[in-house]
Parts: sequence; structure tokens; C-alpha cells
Amino acid sequence: MAASIKPVAQAFIALRAHDPEAVSAIHAAQRHLPEGAGLTRLRRWRLVELRGALPERAEVEDLLHRSTQFYNPSKEKCTVRRHEEDAVPVVPDEQVLLVTERGGERRPSAERWWRHETGERVEVREGLVWGLTFADGTDAARAAESLALATSRDCGLFANPHAQSCKLTEGAPPLGWLAGRTGVLRPRRKGRVR
Amino acid sequence: MSRPRIAIIQFPGVNCEAESARALERAGLSAEVVRWTQSPDTLSRFDGFLLPGGWSYQDRVRAGALAAKLPLVEALAQQAALGRPVLGICNGAQVLVEAGLVPGEGSIDVALARNRMPSRTGYLSRWVICRIEPSNCVFTRAIPAGTRIPMPIAHGEGRFISGKRGAMARLVEAGQVPLRYVGPDGEPSDDYPYNPNAAESAAAALCNAAGNVLAMMPHPERVIYAGAMARDIGDPWARVQDEAHAHAFGALADAPAMALFRGLASHFQEA
Repeated sequence: MAASIKPVAQAFIALRAHDPEAVSAIHAAQRHLPEGAGLTRLRRWRLVELRGALPERAEVEDLLHRSTQFYNPSKEKCTVRRHEEDAVPVVPDEQVLLVTERGGERRPSAERWWRHETGERVEVREGLVWGLTFADGTDAARAAESLALATSRDCGLFANPHAQSCKLTEGAPPLGWLAGRTGVLRPRRKGRVR
Repeated sequence: MSRPRIAIIQFPGVNCEAESARALERAGLSAEVVRWTQSPDTLSRFDGFLLPGGWSYQDRVRAGALAAKLPLVEALAQQAALGRPVLGICNGAQVLVEAGLVPGEGSIDVALARNRMPSRTGYLSRWVICRIEPSNCVFTRAIPAGTRIPMPIAHGEGRFISGKRGAMARLVEAGQVPLRYVGPDGEPSDDYPYNPNAAESAAAALCNAAGNVLAMMPHPERVIYAGAMARDIGDPWARVQDEAHAHAFGALADAPAMALFRGLASHFQEA
């Protein structure tokens, strides 16, 4: 398919300071959700993916750095991945969860900015990535899947399945993850009825 | 007879507790703020509950998602199951949805998703007109169906939506959508700005099947006085506001949104 051969770049954008969302989320998961008890570390990135006629990594980094459409270099750091072998900030045994607003992944204003700057049309998508690390002995993939989709007060946290979509993988996600199908999660367990 | 006691549940980041208390007191109810740090057992002392607007936990993860996990909300669910009235306004509505207290009784069956507008997404503050729909909701059943009520909205995640096809339409049929956004013709509208966030079925509020738990995105507590209505919402309300200001203390007369709080008071009188 033509779409699959278009070059893709990923930008993992994280706060330079401690991330308050991650601090609050790990606290809620550990204290109030059974499947969150083994969670030992939680990190968060905004994941921006560009697809189209893209330059090499250094130039992509420069373009992203220049526009507030993508991130604020004063308070955020950005890791750009242009090829599968490029480094990513996630570690190999980390459960990596992608949350997107269903039907709201595209960033038209960023696409317009890119075209204005480079003359090239690209697709820009954005989602939220959570990196979950669990204690030894925990079935990490299963625990991460249980925490992903909120189906009741005591089950799930990171996405409301009525408006958001989730994908889960371990370690580095594939390039083109936002538009791809890798690791798609669907609600398995009917929420508890009281 | 002592006045019914309503607990206003304040999570960190909530900021509408004072005006919510004022609205409840004006309706003849007794209001007391209960903070998230207090024991969940505290709730058993109250006859009803109000979750006010604001940004609980700074809307981290998702609006209402973190507060919904607290033991205090588990205790609130137990009180709701006993039939005690629960009103969630704006952020309070988001907590009720994320806690599965509307429209069901435990499972999360809808979302309050990010607003969608023609050229952008995100936060919006403006006046809307809502229509009372036929419902057994304790907050609206004393108000004639078809009544239109002007109220302000102020939220970034207020779009009622279900991932299940036709689910919102079924909730409308079941009388669990007691307030809907309407256009100038008085009919439910899918068009911006009348439907300010692209809510499915023009839903501005959802209640549970029993009718005692109501989650609403507009802010009735911000417009309990006639003088608080904006002129730009148009007639007949602009005219009401002008006339109210023309008389001594007229501006302090009830605004239409006060009917929701008086509805709660009449529920206790009936009981």
C-alpha cells in the first residue's frame, strides 16, 4: 500500500520537570486500582508522528524545535526518531500504552505550518504515550492491559473507551504507530455493576 | 422541620462550591462543604449531594478520571444506590460519568469527550439554551417539559458520547437525557454554537434510570439571579433581565436556572 511506504518520523515529547499527570496517575493506580498495585514507575510523553515527504532526522528536529505547534523547548524535551533503529526514550521491558482521541488524532494547524515552512504536505497525528513499569513477578502485559481502558470505578484508568482508543506494546513501538494497527486494545471485561 | 442537608463534595481543584452552596441555600436547603480528605463515612449524615464545577486534580489523565477512583466516590455511589439525590455540575458531571454513576449503575457507559467545534477543539465558555425533556429526574420533573433555560457553559471536555451505536438515542427515549441543547426554534440542535461541543443527541445532561443522579454540563449555580443573565442570550431572557434591573431588588429575582435547585427542594418536600 502506498501509505505504508511514506516516510514517518516520531517525536517523543516529555516535560523537563517531573510530570504532574504521571505523579497523580501512579498514585491513583497504586492506591485505588487492584491491577495498579504492582506499578513501580509511570512516565508520559506526547507522541507526534509525521508522515509524508520528510527530510532526515536533524532537519526534522530543527523544524519541530522552531514551532510551538509541536512543543515548547523551554519546558519540554523532544526525542526524534526517523528510522526504526533510532533511539527512543522507552526501555525494553516497559509497557508502552498509546491513547488517542477517537477521530481527533490529526493536527491540521501543524500540517499547515509544515507546508508553509517546507512546501511539503505531511500528515501530523498526536497521541499520548504512557510508559508503565511493574514490579518483578507481575504479569506486566496483563496488568497494563487492565489499567488501559476504564470500564468501571475499580477497573482501568488511562482511556475512556467511548471516546478514546488504546494500543499497547512492550518496548519501542513501531514507526507509524498512530496510524497503524499494532497492539489495538478493546474492552474485554464488562464493567462491574453494583 | 429541619432543612434537608446537602453535602457539596469538594475535590482538589474544584472552584464552584461557594455559588453552589448559595443556590442550595436559596432553595431552602442546608449546604455544607465536604472535602476529599474527610472520611467517606461522613456522607451518611447527608440527604443529598452536589459535585460542583472546577478542575479536580487539574483534569489530569482525563477530566474527572482521578476523582472517580477515590473512596469518597465509592461511598457516594452507595448513597446514590439508596436513592439519595446526586447532582454533578460540569466537572462534577465528569466525575459521575467516570465513576459510572450515570447513565448506569457502576459501569462506564458514556464519555464526556473533548469539545468539537467547527474550526477547533478544546475549551469553550458561552451561553446556551437547554430544554427540559420528559424525565423522572428528581431535579427536573417539577419543571414543565419544553421549558427552555438559559445557562452558561465553560468546559473543554463536555461532549456526551457513547461508543455504542444508538446508545444515546436510547437514553433519550428512556427519559435519561433531561436537558438538551436547543437552537432558536426551540428544537434540539446538532449545530454549533447552539450545541456548543457536538454532543450526541444534543445531550446537555444525563441521569441514571432511577432519576436521582444527574450529570449536567451547564452551570445553573452561576445564574440563580435574573440580573445575572446576559443580554446577548436574546429575548425573552434579555427582556426579563432588563425589567429585573428596572425594579428595586428585581435583579435578585429567580433566574430560570434556579428551577433545578427548587426542583430538588420540592423532591424533599414530596418525600
